Amino acid sequence: MRTIVDLISGGADIGRTRVFWIGFGVIVLLFLLYPTQASAFRVSNVSFYLLNIPLGLGMALLWGYCGVLSFGHVAYFGIAGYIYGIIAGNMSENTLGPLAGVAGGLLASAIVAGIFGYFVFYARVQKWIIPILTLVLTLLLETFLGQTAGYQWRIGSVLLGGYNGMTGIPWFRLGGFVFEGYSFFYLCVVVVLACYFGLRMLVNSNFGQVIVAIREDELRTELLGYDIRARQWVVFVISAMLAGLSGLLYVQWGNYITPSQVGLLQAVLPVIWTAVGGTTSLLAVVISAFALNWVTFTLSSQGNQYAMVIIGALLVVTMLFFPRGIIVMVAEWLGRLIARRAPSSQP
Amino acid sequence: MEPTIVIETRSLSKRFGGVVAADNVNFKVPSGEFRCMIGPNGAGKSTLFAMLCGIESADSGRILVFGQDVTRMQAFRRVRLGVGLTFQTNRAFHQLTVRENLTIPQASANLKNKEAGQMRLEFALDAFGLDPDDETKAAELPHNQLHWLEIAMVLVGYPNLILLDEPTAGMAPEETLQTAKVLKHLNSTGLTTVVVEHDMAFVKDVAQTVTVLHQGQIFAEGSLADITAHEDVRRIYLGRA
Amino acid sequence: MDVLPLALSLLYQFMTGAAFFFLAAVGLVIILGMMNIINLAHGELMMIGAYTATITYHAGVPFWLSVILSFFVVAAFGAVLELLIVRRFYGRELGALVVTWGVSLVLGQGTLLFFGPFMPSIKIPGGSFSYGVFSYSAYWLILVLISLLLVLGLWWLYNRTPYGLQAKATMQNAEMAKSLGVRTSRIYTLTFSLGAGLAGLSGALMAPTLTIAPFMGQQFIVPAFITVVVGGTANVIAGAVASSAFLAAVKTPIGMAFGAFSGTVALLLAALIIIRIMPDGISASLQKFFNRRAGRTAQ
Repeated sequence: MRTIVDLISGGADIGRTRVFWIGFGVIVLLFLLYPTQASAFRVSNVSFYLLNIPLGLGMALLWGYCGVLSFGHVAYFGIAGYIYGIIAGNMSENTLGPLAGVAGGLLASAIVAGIFGYFVFYARVQKWIIPILTLVLTLLLETFLGQTAGYQWRIGSVLLGGYNGMTGIPWFRLGGFVFEGYSFFYLCVVVVLACYFGLRMLVNSNFGQVIVAIREDELRTELLGYDIRARQWVVFVISAMLAGLSGLLYVQWGNYITPSQVGLLQAVLPVIWTAVGGTTSLLAVVISAFALNWVTFTLSSQGNQYAMVIIGALLVVTMLFFPRGIIVMVAEWLGRLIARRAPSSQP
Repeated sequence: MEPTIVIETRSLSKRFGGVVAADNVNFKVPSGEFRCMIGPNGAGKSTLFAMLCGIESADSGRILVFGQDVTRMQAFRRVRLGVGLTFQTNRAFHQLTVRENLTIPQASANLKNKEAGQMRLEFALDAFGLDPDDETKAAELPHNQLHWLEIAMVLVGYPNLILLDEPTAGMAPEETLQTAKVLKHLNSTGLTTVVVEHDMAFVKDVAQTVTVLHQGQIFAEGSLADITAHEDVRRIYLGRA
Repeated sequence: MDVLPLALSLLYQFMTGAAFFFLAAVGLVIILGMMNIINLAHGELMMIGAYTATITYHAGVPFWLSVILSFFVVAAFGAVLELLIVRRFYGRELGALVVTWGVSLVLGQGTLLFFGPFMPSIKIPGGSFSYGVFSYSAYWLILVLISLLLVLGLWWLYNRTPYGLQAKATMQNAEMAKSLGVRTSRIYTLTFSLGAGLAGLSGALMAPTLTIAPFMGQQFIVPAFITVVVGGTANVIAGAVASSAFLAAVKTPIGMAFGAFSGTVALLLAALIIIRIMPDGISASLQKFFNRRAGRTAQ
């Protein structure tokens, strides 16, 4: 039985030396101190960059470690967000409302992913079918949600809102404590750290190793006695719940959600974060998701029309010239540089 | 005493379009035997092998492993009954290290067979020169060791039966000899071994019984001496049919 | 009870629905069948075809000539795309999916920036006529005819031309084809170009029925992808035809009874069911049937 320390420091993600962990700790500390130095507006923006990280981690887990590419992962982001809005909105008098909403949102993501995953994994289809069908699912979801304008489209007392989306989504609260502003920022930091370390331990575990084996050679892994379809299904559902987690945080951040969150433009973003970061490293995707969210958010709030062209071009360039991911390749280059300069401190 | 049949097919048939790959095959391997399957190209060896593994489904007939009907059983469940399989094109995990290759098969190990299995594994690792803590990437191993790695990998599951498809493909004579030596020893500990092979020197060295396949049927079966004396077997190999 | 007008209307909707799916998917499936790559910029290629048609049309070129021109313009564009980007991803299908998505982003957003949000539309040729309470568009009937001609044309291309022979050989076994002297890299470029050209052609043909805007290609994504998933690649043309017909047969009654969106959802459900029973698509089962017949006659 491996200890938690072993699982965290395993080799399935980059960074294992003491220097790395010290640097990691410093950065976490900087994040924790950030609200004392920055305006509420800035803190809110950084919260936005953080809340998208679980979605990126879900993609990295599924694509990088399991070899399954999902183009429609934002569907689970949206499902969780809308379900939370429906449940918490209907239970607005109830102190347990938000918690029920969170549970409901995650459960809804898991169930939809579970059903969809069953059809797709147990059908033993060719590799390209999964990205295509997941994309179709999220586009259909967007179309559906887009035509829910009008009073007849409501669940309980909550209007779905059509293309304008659902507004007035209640804050998440524990007991009487409402997570908004600075406390929401800290909630995001904690969630991101929990997700990252949880996944890091998962990929270093036996389960994670078998997942990687499935990615490397499905047939060989199956003929070693593993039910590969069940494992792929489990990873798919976990990654969908991570996407849902981002969706839940998102509706806290803005108290609204629109169908465009599950549309084509949104759908490409986690793919870009994962490709740019590098599918073989969870940490790289954390960094790239944060950085790219910062870029797109800043560009679009400035009214810059070139944002999506730049992002699209970045994806093409990354796929052509940085096949292992920009961050991962930079980390590899740094690793070689450090090894050359200080050979005696090699572990 | 009637020996237990470890793996058997009954009236197994399979066609691909107009080609008959397996024609009413009745194949039986008793426990502890070292069986070699030979036959000219196109005889149906690969198809039979694939059906035994569970990669291909039969059109009709039954397959039994350890007395259990596995005809409709998924491949991974068959393996869990205690079967180890290696492929013609090497399928060790080339991008992973030797250590990882040898740890991954662990979780589905047939624990009922742990003691015997553990001894076999240790013998094989030692005889093949493989170190279970080796961090070398499998792709960097020499060709023969890569094949040996795959054999060791399936031994990690403590199987009671191993099916190997051309395990000495591409090996030099000394390496083939070494493979034969290891497999013979493993077989002597009670590990039923079925090998599809082309290399007659290898077959001569290891086989207790030889099954000759031709045009999807079992053409002849018996000891190697019987087979090589068989005029029809010579004919199908030299093609005067 | 006047069943005849209803029956005719259903038939019309079925035929035009099938033509729509076929036109939306044909370029995509040609490329998929050859390189096992889904070109996510397919919708944008259709858009470029529509743009070429409308620009040339409004510059005075007769409509049918604009359509033909669109084929060649987008085919050329496709060749460039293949040479610069797509060919680096052969063997890496998932990577090809991702990079073509990036290309589609650049093309779509770029068109918005360059041409603005709207383009002048093309007046739909032919008129409409009615029978009973239902109205029919003569142009769509022409599109059905054109689709049939395309099927015949593609059949002729794949079975009666040197390109077709080489393309089929490359699809079956590229290594073998290469060693027999087929210039496979040229076949790939030509095939991608053909697929792109067909996408452009479809976009131009359907342009009069649509609003011409930078993201007009997106409306074809769901139908084209589902058609291709259900059809499969074992037999590209037969698969596309069978798939289009099947999906139209599903969508027409359901769409009529429950609305267009329900029709589309029914398509996704149908696709999920089909891949469960026939994981390699309808064309794989069709191909098995053809093979069995050939096997029987050979004996």
